[in-house]
Parts: sequence; C-alpha cells; structure tokens
Amino acid sequence: MQKKRKKRRKRILKMMRTMKKTKKRKKNLQVRKARSEQRCAAIHKHSTCHKLWRQHRHKRSIASRFVDLEAEVSDEDEEEEEDEDYGADGFIETVDDVEDDGGRRHHAALDSRLQVEEDQTPEQIARDLSRRYGGRAAVRYTGDMNEIPQRLLMPSVHDASLWQVRVRPGRERDIVFSLMRKAIDVEYSARPLNILAAFQRDSLPGMIYVEARSSQQVSQACNGLVGVFPSRGIQLVPIEEMASLLQIKKQDLTVTPGSWVRIRRGKYAGDLAQVMDITENGEDVGLKFIPRIDLNPRDDGPLDGRKRKKTATATGTMRPPQRLFNYEEIIKVWGRKHVSKRNQVFVFQNDTYKDGFIEKDFKLSALILEDVNPTLDEITQFTRRQDGAEADGVVDLSIIAEASRKAAISVLQPGDHVEVFEGEQAGVHGVVDEIHQDVVIITAIGVDIDGQKVELPARSVRKRFKPGDHVKVMTGQNADETGLVVSVADNVVTFLSDMSMQEVSVFSKDLREAAEVGSGTNIIGNYELHDLVQLDAQTVGVIYKTERDSFRVLDQNGQVRLVQPHQISMRRDSVRAIATDSEGHELRINDNVKEIDGEARKGRVLHTHQSFFAFLHNRDIVENGGVFVTRTRSLASLAPKGNLLKAGTDLSKMNPALAPPTGGMVGSGNMGRGPRDRDIGLTVCVIKGPHKGYVGTIKDTNGPAVRVELRTGNKVITLEKDKLRERLPNGKLVQLTGRGSSSGSGSMGPPTNYGGGARTSNPYAGGPQNGAGSRTPGWGAGRTPNPYGEGRTPAWNASSRTPNPYAEGGKTPAWNASSRTPNPYAADGGRTPAWNANSRTPNPYASGSGSGGTSATWGGATPGRNVGGWGGATPGRPAASGWGSGVDSWSDNTGWGASSAPTPGAATPGFNSATMTPGTTWPASTPGYVFGAGGNGNNLSAPTPGGIPSTYRPEADDIDLDDMWIFDSAFANYQQRIKVQVHGTRVSNYLNGDFEGKTGRIKAATKSSAEFDQSALIAFDSGEERSILVRYLLPAPPEFLHSEALVLAHKDEKNKGKVVIIREVPDDIIPVSTMSDPSFVFEVKRDFLAALYKDQ
Amino acid sequence: MAEQGAAAIPSQARSKQLRACLLCSIIQLPVDFRRNGCPNCEELMQMKGNSDRIATCTTTYFDGVISVIDPENSWVARWQRTSKYVRGLYAVRVKGRVPEDVEAELDNRGIKYRPRDQTDHD
Repeated sequence: MQKKRKKRRKRILKMMRTMKKTKKRKKNLQVRKARSEQRCAAIHKHSTCHKLWRQHRHKRSIASRFVDLEAEVSDEDEEEEEDEDYGADGFIETVDDVEDDGGRRHHAALDSRLQVEEDQTPEQIARDLSRRYGGRAAVRYTGDMNEIPQRLLMPSVHDASLWQVRVRPGRERDIVFSLMRKAIDVEYSARPLNILAAFQRDSLPGMIYVEARSSQQVSQACNGLVGVFPSRGIQLVPIEEMASLLQIKKQDLTVTPGSWVRIRRGKYAGDLAQVMDITENGEDVGLKFIPRIDLNPRDDGPLDGRKRKKTATATGTMRPPQRLFNYEEIIKVWGRKHVSKRNQVFVFQNDTYKDGFIEKDFKLSALILEDVNPTLDEITQFTRRQDGAEADGVVDLSIIAEASRKAAISVLQPGDHVEVFEGEQAGVHGVVDEIHQDVVIITAIGVDIDGQKVELPARSVRKRFKPGDHVKVMTGQNADETGLVVSVADNVVTFLSDMSMQEVSVFSKDLREAAEVGSGTNIIGNYELHDLVQLDAQTVGVIYKTERDSFRVLDQNGQVRLVQPHQISMRRDSVRAIATDSEGHELRINDNVKEIDGEARKGRVLHTHQSFFAFLHNRDIVENGGVFVTRTRSLASLAPKGNLLKAGTDLSKMNPALAPPTGGMVGSGNMGRGPRDRDIGLTVCVIKGPHKGYVGTIKDTNGPAVRVELRTGNKVITLEKDKLRERLPNGKLVQLTGRGSSSGSGSMGPPTNYGGGARTSNPYAGGPQNGAGSRTPGWGAGRTPNPYGEGRTPAWNASSRTPNPYAEGGKTPAWNASSRTPNPYAADGGRTPAWNANSRTPNPYASGSGSGGTSATWGGATPGRNVGGWGGATPGRPAASGWGSGVDSWSDNTGWGASSAPTPGAATPGFNSATMTPGTTWPASTPGYVFGAGGNGNNLSAPTPGGIPSTYRPEADDIDLDDMWIFDSAFANYQQRIKVQVHGTRVSNYLNGDFEGKTGRIKAATKSSAEFDQSALIAFDSGEERSILVRYLLPAPPEFLHSEALVLAHKDEKNKGKVVIIREVPDDIIPVSTMSDPSFVFEVKRDFLAALYKDQ
Repeated sequence: MAEQGAAAIPSQARSKQLRACLLCSIIQLPVDFRRNGCPNCEELMQMKGNSDRIATCTTTYFDGVISVIDPENSWVARWQRTSKYVRGLYAVRVKGRVPEDVEAELDNRGIKYRPRDQTDHD
C-alpha cells in the first residue's frame, strides 16, 4: 500500500517535472501541483483498495478502463470528467515522448478523478465512497474473465512457478489455510510472504503446491509451519503440468433417484438403501431402507431421550436385525406415545417410516456409491410390502439391473454370446468381437443382419443364455456353482446346480458358459478335498467330496458321513506316518498299492491311520469319489521301491547294531540309528575344563561329544569324551574304556574289557567305535609293530582319497549287498562282486580289470610292499584272505598299483597296526576296517573316509595275511609244499613279467636280513627254478575237491598252519576238515588257503 | 490491500461446515456468508443474512483448497478466474450450479456462466 502510494507520488512528481519543462502552462501547472497535492491527501484519506486496484487494472488493460469507469464512476461526474479529460489529454500529449501510452491514459484518468473530487466537498466524497463500496451495495459482479477461453489462461514463462512441497498427509488443507493466515499476518511486517498462492488437492495426499517466483520464497513461507517437510524437497512443477494439477477431477459419483447405495457407517452400516430424492446442491440424499428397530429395549417403560440414547449406544454392539416397520409391534414394545402418525407416515424416534421402510436423509459423504452390488435377496426385500405380501407379484429387476449394468460391462469378454435388450437393435443377438470401453462390436446372428458387425453401447447388451446351456457362476455367493440352464427371464438365469440339484437364480452377467462340472473349489474353510480329518475321538475320515458348505467324509469304518465344517475337530496329517503292508514293507502316503485280497482294488495311498487303516484313492472307482478304506495289512505295493527288502540286502544296513553311531561319516541318508552307546548311563567325572570335578551321568553320545547331565544344577552339558572319566562306585576314576577317546596316540588305554573276548559274540563290535572316528588307544598298544612301514601305506592312502575299489578290496561278498553301482568286476569269476560294491564313483581301473594290463599297474605297488619287509611273508600269503578273494583278484586289481604312487607318507599307523597283528585276539581288523578307523579320526590325511564305515561287513573275521607269510614259522613244516603263484610282476616289469601267473612250489625260503629284499627259490610247474621276490608271491588257492591245503590264517588261531582237506568244491569260503578229524569241519576263506603239493 | 475486500478466513480448516460459493468458489464458513455475504458476488447472490440462500448458493461439496494471497499476479488465480476477486480461500472445484435466477441474471448481463465443476473445456 505504502509502496504504491509512493509510486504514485513519484509518478506525479515526474509528471510535474516534465511539466516544468513546458513554460506554456506554467501557471496552470502550479495550480495543478497545488491541487494534486491536496488531492493526494484527500485520496489517501479516503482511498480504497478498490480504487487502487482499478488503477492497477488500467495498467493491464486499456479496454477494461472503460468498463471500470462505467462501473465505478457515477453519472453526474461524467461530463466534467470528459471535459477534463479533453484538456488533460491535450496537455499530456506534449509529453508523450516521456510517458508511454498506458501511462498517459492513466494520468488522464487520475487527472480527471482529481478534477472531480476537487469539486466535491470531503463530505460528499465520503458519502459517495461509502455508497459505492460500503453497505449493501456490493461490488458489481462482472464476470469479465469468464469470456476468456481456458486455454488462453495457460501458464506462460512470465508467470510465477508452482512448487510442490511435501507435507504430512492429512494436514494439506490445514497448511494451505495456515499459509493464508500467515500471509495476512506478516503482510505489513518487514518480511511479507512472497508467495502468490498455495493450493491442495484431495486426490494428491501429502503435498501442497505453492506459487512463487523462487523456491526460496516457498521455503520461507513454509518455515515454521507444522507438518511441512521442506527438507524433502521443494520441487518445481513443470510449466506444462501446472494446469493439469488444477484440472484433476475425481470420478463423479452421481446419484439419481432410484439408484442403490449403501450406508457407510452407523447402525445401518452396509445396508442397502434406495435413493428417493436428492437436494438441489447434491449434498443430502433422501434414502429409503429397511429399519433396524430395537424391539427389545433394555429399559422398559417410558424413557427420556437422553437415557434412551445411552441404551442405544450400549446396545450398539448388537445391532437389531433388519425388519420392516410394524406399527403394532412398535407400540407394543415402545408404547403408543412414542409413535405418532401423520397421514400415511409414522414418526418414531424422529425418523419417519413409510410402508415399513425408514426414510431418512443422509449426507452424500456418508454413503457408498460404488460397488454397491445389491443382491437379489436385498432387492426382493425392498419390493415387499409392509404386510409381507409381494409387491405386484414380480420382482422388479430393472432396478437392480440398472445398478448392476455398469458391472456387467466389465464382465463382457470377446466371444461372449450377447443379446441387445434395448435401443434400436433390441432383440438382436450375436457374439462379441471387440470391446472398446463402453462400446462393443458384435457379430449379429440370425435375422436379416446375420453376420454383420454392429456397434453397440455396452450397457444395452447382456449375456445371453438359453435353456440347456451349461454355465458356471463367476461371482457372487454362488460363485463356482455350475449347472444346466433351465430358464432365462430377461437377465435372470435359473439353472439347476450340478452339486445341490437345486435351482439357482443368478444374473446373467455373473455367468459364463463352462464345460466343467462341479465345484471349482475343493476347499471349504480350512479343509480340502482328500484331507484326513478327525471327526471325533475314535473316528477319522477322508473328505471325498466338498459341497457348498459341507463335506462328504468316508470314515475309517467305511461309513459315509455328511459333515459340516464345524463338526470337524481337526485336520490330521499323515505325511510322516508309516504303515506296514502285507509284505512287511513300509507303506507311506502316495504309494501305489493294490489289495491282495477282496476286490484287489488298486489305488494311491491318501492317508494311513494308526498304521492300520489306509485310505486309498482311485479315480476309476465311482463310489465315494474314488476314495476307499482298507487295512494296510491287505495291501501290497505295486511298484517295488528302492528301500524294499531284497535278497542280498546289506544286512549291515538293516542291523542298527552294525551301523556306526555317527551317520555323518557314511554320507548315506539311510543310516539307521546307532546302537546305544555303552557309555550312556555311566556315572562320570569331568577331569578337564570349566566343569572339572563335576559328576554327572552320560545322557547321550555323539561321536566324541558326550552330553552329560550334571548332578549339580540339573544341567546337561556337552563335553568331549576325553574330558571324562568313569567314576566307579568306590570313587575311582577310570578311563572310559574302549569308547574311543579321539586321541590317535595309540599308546594308552588298557584293552581291558575291550578285547576280542568281550566282543566275540559280536565280531563287529569294534566297528561302531571305529566308525565313530576314534581308534581306541587300546588297539595301538596291541598292534603297534608295523612291519610294513611306508611301503604299503601309499597305496592305502591313495585309495582313501579315491573310491578305489581296492580299499574295499578286503571285503567279502557281503559287500555286494550294499553295492550301489553296477559291479564292473562281476564278470570276473575270481573276484567277489564286493569289490566295487561300495565304490560310489566310477572306478578308474575298472576297464583294466582282467586284462593283461592289470599286472603292469600292479607292479608299481610291489616294491613298496617289499620295502616294508613283506618278502619274508610269502608262505603265509595264500592264507591271508584279507586281501581279497584270491590270487586272481590280485592280478586284476589295478587299483592297487596305480593308486599307490600319489600319496606316500600318508601311512597310517593305525592301518598297519591293525592289519598286522597276527595272533591278536582282535578278529575284526581287516584292512578296510582299520582304514576306516584311521580315516575317521587319526593322522590319516585321507579325505574321504565317508565310505569307510560302510565297508564293515559281517565277515570281518578274516585275518589279514602278512606280507611275509611265507616265512611264518607256523608254515615251516609245509613250506616246501606250498603252491605259490607269481603275481604283479608285470606292473613292475619284474623279470620282464615272464613269470606272471606261473605257479610253483617253494624250494627254499629263508628270511634274510631286513635290508635285503626277501626272496624265495621257486620250482615252477614248468620245471624252471628261479628265485623270486616274495612280494610277488601269493598263495595259490586250492582248486580241487578233496585236495590238501594249508590254512594260512583263521580266526581260530589253532587252525592256522593246519593241513586240511577241501570238503566242498572250492568257493570263496571253503569248508575244510583236517585229515586227522574229518568230522571237524570248519570254514576257511579261499584266500587264506594255500594249495599244497604232494609231499615229496 | 484493502482489508474490507478480503474474505473471512475460516479458523478451522477441517471444519465440515466449510462452504464454497457456487459462482466464485470462495470458501467461507456459513456464518461468514450470513454476516457478510460473498465478498465477490454478493451483488448477484444476495446471501447476506439469508440462510436458505446460502444453502442453495454454496456447497460443501468441493475439492481442493487454494489460498489466493496475491490474486492479481497469481497464475493460479487467473486460471481459476479469481484474480479479480478478493484474496482468500477458494475451492479448486465446486460441484453444482448456481440457482436458476442467478444464471438468468448472468445471462441478462451477457456474462457467460462458467460452472466451477470443471465440466466445460475450452
């Protein structure tokens, strides 16, 4: 304001200055100057905003000046004004090089006004002004901007920019209001707001838009307002988007009388209502709907309004049911004076009731206008009269049809069969080709326009069905019901449900033609088709059919029940249940089985119950949806499964006693549980660690880890075994014997109760413990002498890295059972299939088996063996069955030689010690066995011990043959008669391999000192005599029935070195008897027998 | 600016009672409409002291609030055709049409009536 005043004064002064230049009217000028100053004062005194505004507008639009003058200057002034204008114009024309045209006119106007006001008394002016602007006479509405087309109002670059400001959602309007108030408050302060406008849109939550020249002005304006987040950025709105922000338009929700709405909240929330009338401004809507009158008011008798209100809210949780207004009922409950009657209208509790309906005005905002979807039931209620009679007999579905028509458009799809029910084409039907929003193009069928494409408004077509169509309900409460159309009336289709065999009426818009039969859903509530459900404590059943809201259940007794979901106490799960079938095989769900008796029905196991009942399903059976119940004992598997018992199954797998307690080493998932560790239950004392001195009981063991329940504190802790000592009743602490502390020292541990004797009943008893990864110290003590040294170990070690069949070489036929890969050696007669049995990776040597090449590879290994001092052992070898199935097998065992090279130094003392112990009472120390032991916890570097524990076999009683068997004193008497075979020379090219495979008798064999290779003089069958290194000599197994043989090794030490007679055709295990006592027959492995030549 | 020309700024932004003039879209409380009428178009609407008239000439059904601080220079005000009106709060969009008599009067004066519901496009 002040600014403007200043501005004007400046301008006037400027004018004055220019005037001074012209001397022509100097006097006049002076007069004017005086006048204008006087006038300025007067104007300031009386000036109004409007005046200034008008002046401002002059600047903007020349044309509007006239409008304004007309509007604001009274008639009586006009003449004078014109006069003055004329004069002023003439005057100012002389200075038009200084002032622009607008300025000139402005001055003219100003001048004229000054002139006019000059001639009036201040009183007159004041009166004039108050008449003009104050009081009733309002500003004349001109609407002069209304003529301008909107597009010309588009923002230009000269306009201020719009800035988007983030605000707290829900506070947008408050902030816009605050900005307005703030702008007024600080208007005359030192820092007025420099924003021009701010606005908010309901459809753009969380942001307001501020019009300003710079973002700084925006942030200044927003500064200090609560809920504004200028830190989240004040973003410029691109100029082209400015207009659209103000053009956002909500989808107009129009209500028309007769349309259906729902009430948003309150007692009638969700209730359907029909619009009766709408107030002119569209705010209030008169509705008609079914009242909910509480017919059980809590307090009987007369109530004052306040109290009633209270009860109404108290009972708010239980809203009364919908019920048409019944005068008699109401007065009975509420009393006559609560209801008044005017004409046909009842007034009750300030609501009016007509024809049983309540008629009430609602705000538009309190109504739901979209997705009303009235159901047929609801609509039918509306058409009912107060007395309960149907109004006009028929349901007027046009109302609902109208309401649902909008929805109907959206469900149309190309290919739908439709008919036109209104408009010019009414009656035409066809197939929908295209849909463009509200327009559908159909190909007409029949009549004269057959095949033509017709464009139609979507609202005037509806889906067409004819009796006999098979339909499916897509939406609504009958959704997924299918059936056969029996009648079509307008857009209501009645069909016979496939499921309930009842007639169902639905709108055609909700239907589709469908070929499928039955319910699409198999799920009701939490229950699904084929679920095993508990019906009562004794009864379970399987759902074989779902209906609308019930199930058909076949219980375990074969009875069929119709069950409601609430009658089911729970759903059962038999996924993990295992039953046993007639063959003793396990029976799980989803197994395909058949009955072995009765009807021999086949089916898939849905569920088993208590391992006794099996619910089967077979689609081919019509009865009970293909579900039937049988006993598991009368079932047999249709498809044999891998886990079924087969002949030759690895019994070690079946016998949990044989399985090492730790499953992890084997790596096969089907390890059984280990035997109960003998340590479990022992009273132990902790000797190391933070719990040192505590006494407890072993609750569980897991390899070297033990869970000990402490006496103190009732705590279970996990400890390593070597931190424990058994606490005897007398308080003495004893090593946990034989239970494998993980130490590999091999030096400790009295083999007290661990000896072979203790376990003879179970020759494998050692197995589990070794499998557990611990070599018992006891062993080492007994077996330490290791005659082999390094020579042999490489091979062993190598085999431990790879699934070298040799590692399992010592294994007996039992291996075969657990064989998982085809046995490549199966063709070899001499070999036990067991060899490769456990090799889980392809045997790299398999190809060489049985070929000449094998001996070549073998050679590599031989020296190693010899170095170990094998040589002297030759005579004993044939008896050493531990090496495999025999000489033949050796020759083919390429794995040995080849693998011997890579890893020297990995020698496991354990291995040697175990294998070497002649005379030990420990029968089970086969190479494989010991190897496994070493691999599990000792200094063997073998990374693949996994396969080892599985190498245990029942035949672990075999004894290994000493490499120096030939020199065994037990055979000394028969040494000259032992038939030996040269083996493995080709690998090392010993004597060019010429003697490979040749057999002969030992002429002389004397152990030389350890530094030298041991050799023996062999008289070959071919007649030659040659000294052969003993490490190439293997015992030749007996070949004939009743021939003599020497027992090189036997579990019964007494039998070692005995000459026996072969009692049966030589096989892997040969029953023999001594000559002296033919009745004493015992079995010896072929490998541990050496054929004897006739005594010379 | 002249104080007399400003609209009453409602104190409560959330008030459900806020009403927008159907002709000029200014937002005021009913009490302000009754006391002072519409600051822009009272001449036509004659709402002052007339509650019924207020009910027909204003509505609560509007969308978007603009605070017009500098009407003459604001593009927003120009776009909304309120730049010659007093400053105050205006609605972006007002549903409904003015009563017929007002419309007829506008017609007589040769003023094009533009409903504020953004239905016309030009």
